[in-house]
Amino acid sequence: MSGHGHYREAHPLPLMLSHWSNLISMIVLVFTGFYIHFPFFAGFMGAARSLHFFFMYLLLVTITARIIMAFTVKDTNQMGTKDRDWDWKNWIPQAENRHQLIETAKYYLFMRKEHVISAKNGALQKIAYLATIPLTYAIAYAGFAIYTPAHQWGIWPFFEAGLTAVGGDMNMRIIHYFLMWAIILFTMIHVYLANIYGVAPTKLMFFWIETEDPHDRYHQ
Amino acid sequence: MAQDARGEVYDLLAARGVSRRDFLKYCGSVAALLGLSEMYAPQIAAAVESGAKLKPVLWIAQGLCTGCTESMAQSRTPDVPTVVLDILSVNYWETVMASAGSDALKAITETVDKGGYILIVEGSIMNGANGNTLRVGGRPGREDVKEAAKNADAIIAVGSCAVDGGWVKAAPNPAGATGVSEYLASVGISKPIINLPTCPVNPEWIVAMIVDVLLVGKLPALDSKGRPTLIYGSTIHDNCPRRGHFENGEFVEKFGTVEEKKQFCLYKVGCKGPQTYTNCPYVRWNDRVSWCVESGSPCIGCGNFNWVDNDAPFLTRTSNVKLPGIGGVAPSTVGAVLGGAAAVALGVHAVVSGTQGRVGKGGPPETEKAYDRKKAAKGGDK
Ligand code: HEM
Ligand code: HEM
Ligand code: SF4
Ligand code: SF4
Repeated sequence: MSGHGHYREAHPLPLMLSHWSNLISMIVLVFTGFYIHFPFFAGFMGAARSLHFFFMYLLLVTITARIIMAFTVKDTNQMGTKDRDWDWKNWIPQAENRHQLIETAKYYLFMRKEHVISAKNGALQKIAYLATIPLTYAIAYAGFAIYTPAHQWGIWPFFEAGLTAVGGDMNMRIIHYFLMWAIILFTMIHVYLANIYGVAPTKLMFFWIETEDPHDRYHQ
Repeated sequence: MAQDARGEVYDLLAARGVSRRDFLKYCGSVAALLGLSEMYAPQIAAAVESGAKLKPVLWIAQGLCTGCTESMAQSRTPDVPTVVLDILSVNYWETVMASAGSDALKAITETVDKGGYILIVEGSIMNGANGNTLRVGGRPGREDVKEAAKNADAIIAVGSCAVDGGWVKAAPNPAGATGVSEYLASVGISKPIINLPTCPVNPEWIVAMIVDVLLVGKLPALDSKGRPTLIYGSTIHDNCPRRGHFENGEFVEKFGTVEEKKQFCLYKVGCKGPQTYTNCPYVRWNDRVSWCVESGSPCIGCGNFNWVDNDAPFLTRTSNVKLPGIGGVAPSTVGAVLGGAAAVALGVHAVVSGTQGRVGKGGPPETEKAYDRKKAAKGGDK
């Protein structure tokens, strides 16, 4: 949140770049996805599909790289510090998040006044970020299942099984479409919560601009 | 070579106004359909000629609209597929055969006893009321299929109904309709079945399959759902003559417009070509005259499994999702409502956050977790 400093150690360069890459991919995929779902102006289908088919691979590569980085990159795990530890601890609730899930929900629902003690990421935040990983793979799975060139791939039976399970291409397209809405809803809430208590986190995440706070443990 | 048989076949053809040349030409197109070179035409002709003597066909009708029989039988001239099926001694074909009643049904039993025949099933298996939603010859109609399947060399399910229940099976399916594969599996008969979906079936595919069985003597390559890969291997969309308009983003928005006249892509008026796997665009229909999209109608996906439930409404881009208590709703409406609700909720949240002085800085920090505080108050483990 904002009552502390935001230092580059919180989001090392590779993580900042992967967030940019994901953001751009998502914007392009959502826009072209809406267009493929229902072409709302003329003359763009070829481009829309080509863009979709390029950025779907970029997204997959970046997400996979991001998972690897969780185990190979160290960043800060606590607020207002420059002490670094493995990044994966920012995705899985740690000691600081214990007993705080319900309290965090209460805080967001205005059922308590004080902000809760937490690690750099709150319990809900960690769960939400973690959920983006299976969500991305799920939408990719549904996408490849309706991607006719995939019929020629060796792993096609893996996608075909899903098509059979959901009852065919039409249903899979609708699932792909709804998964897009799941991602949109995540992003709406994510962007709102990342900024409502101050824009310092975004300044850091996007532009690597630090915000100092003299009260931080790091200064003491 | 069986010179007599050959003569007999050509006499039969001639009597129906089909010349030897027409027939060989047709055999060439069957070869193409089977993925063979046209050089196979004489071999195919020979296979049909000798098959005529060897392979009886049983055409058994179940829960249907007889559209597939119409598709075979009705044409301007006696077309080659019809004649070919005529030549293959069709021992039973209720709709078109001369005899009726128990005499006709005896033909099934006799053919089954001799074995070595091709079984064609048209129509859905009606399982409702213990199979009594369809009764033939005083017993559930599906019994005929069970009996005829026993000794068949090949089983061909023609039309979507025979493949998976087709439109008969569309919700709420009071007749308990299923396809032939599912039914035979349920009565413990496990035989490979050639599935030829579309509503109705394309006669050319039936002939190609029969010829394949006669010529190669075994089943053609089938996909995991029993469909011949040669026919059902790619989408309509990937072979559509209007595909260029699709890529250019040139769509028919409404029928009766200049875009329709220009034969633009039918995607926005519900074309299911992208989800439908058949070779309609090049085998086409009605003696290869035309096919759905070419004649101006969006593909309604009749070659799909569960096609009515999956592809209706036919003139919208997607089918509807069924929500309990609401009924069918377009996916885009569901999405917009979810997105709108989230936007409103976040807006309200922002306003309340404002009144609580949280915007830009958050609430005041706590000094101890609520859990620890409570524990300490209870005497805790300190
Ligand atoms: C990551 C891997 C992805 C793959 C492999 C993929 C693949 C595809 C494919 C093949 C299509 C059909 C295009 C066509 O046949 O014309 C499609 C459509 C679509 N994609 Fe994706 N996509 C991916 C990610 C995404 C993401 C992240 C979103 C949005 C957040 C998205 C949204 C859509 C939408 C809305 C459609 C239109 C669906 C419809 O027909 O209603 N896709 N995608
Ligand atoms: C304008 C849009 C966005 C803004 C302003 C934004 C902002 C942020 C900020 C400030 C953080 C760091 C949180 C913190 O340390 O407190 C973050 C992390 C994160 N964001 Fe976003 N974000 C945006 C879009 C997205 C999108 C579209 C996705 C994916 C669908 C996404 C996924 C994530 C994930 C998974 C993290 C976890 C940390 C990491 O990957 O390093 N964000 N975002
Ligand atoms: S008319 Fe149908 S099958 Fe043809 S290109 Fe358009 S969407 Fe595809
Ligand atoms: S084009 Fe579509 S609707 Fe027409 S016959 Fe082929 S699968 Fe059926």
